[in-house]
Amino acid sequence: MIARILVGLLLLTGLATLVARRNLVKKVFGLAILNSAAVFLFVMEGAHSGQGAPIVDGSALQIVDPLPQALMLTAIVIGVCVTALALAIAARLHRATGSLDIDVIKERLGNGHD
Amino acid sequence: MPTRLAALASVLAAAFALWPLFALDVAWPGTVRDYLEAKGTVESGAMNLVSAIYLGYRAYDTLGETVVLLVAVTGAIGMMAAGSALAPREAGGAPVEPARSPRREARSRQRTELIAALSGKLGAVILIFGLYVMLYGHVSPGGGFQGGVVVASGIVFLALGSHGAAPSPLVGARNLARIESAGFAILLVAACLGVASGKGFLAPPLPGGDPVSFIIVLNAVIGIKVGAGIGLLCVAMLTEEAA
Repeated sequence: MIARILVGLLLLTGLATLVARRNLVKKVFGLAILNSAAVFLFVMEGAHSGQGAPIVDGSALQIVDPLPQALMLTAIVIGVCVTALALAIAARLHRATGSLDIDVIKERLGNGHD
Repeated sequence: MPTRLAALASVLAAAFALWPLFALDVAWPGTVRDYLEAKGTVESGAMNLVSAIYLGYRAYDTLGETVVLLVAVTGAIGMMAAGSALAPREAGGAPVEPARSPRREARSRQRTELIAALSGKLGAVILIFGLYVMLYGHVSPGGGFQGGVVVASGIVFLALGSHGAAPSPLVGARNLARIESAGFAILLVAACLGVASGKGFLAPPLPGGDPVSFIIVLNAVIGIKVGAGIGLLCVAMLTEEAA
């Protein structure tokens, strides 16, 4: 239960970073934290059903559920893709406007197009 | 501060909405685990059941995942390259030039001799470790994606260590892009081989053979593709610095 609450707090931390921070790079950090929280939740839940790693090598330990781990492998890769794309967008915006602050970017882009 | 208030409200709303997910106390179903423990190794050939799932039962999904990675790399490189003098040229153009001298001097101020001396030598070791993780993914923790990311970090080390001296061809953006494309093409061919031999898409093509060899091949190809792709991203972002 404690572990779940901690993962929940981690998720909320990511969300708060995403919505409250103005710096685009910190927003990307928030996205990455959100992603990690989801990964933690799945791996943690799947790990309740055993003690051993999901490798069938004849050890006496009961293995954990490998399905959430395989699913989270996908989630981690997608998370890396999202982070990379978001950082590329942030770099592009920084080059276009000279700032990483979302308000300044909005203002400068708005002035450029009006 | 209305913005602060809105942020706080949205976090509280998310906490309220997600609370049942975290407070729910239902036992995790063991059906899948028991089935995989009994049959997974026999059906897919991999002792590592995570590999058995993502290269055996859900290999189609893994193929899609590599496409997502390819698209993300393409998009990120394209977005960074647009309007940048450092951008890799289009096919047929001149190969990517190393950074011009003022920038190179700025870079060498940021990178100390210590980093250059250490990371260049660590890079090779990390590449070998990545290959090990990738090739032994069917019997031990690891696999194509994990090994690929380790290979990518080895490429980053090589890129950090290759200042001044002649850089390794592995850190050239064009070479990495070629390796990634070739890896993806090989992956598609490997996926279609099963169709040609009548076993089905992404099925082990060799008749009567141990399915584990197919898992090793897939792990190696995916590892090389992922390593080149993420390495390309990192190298592109490294050369992007101070642009």
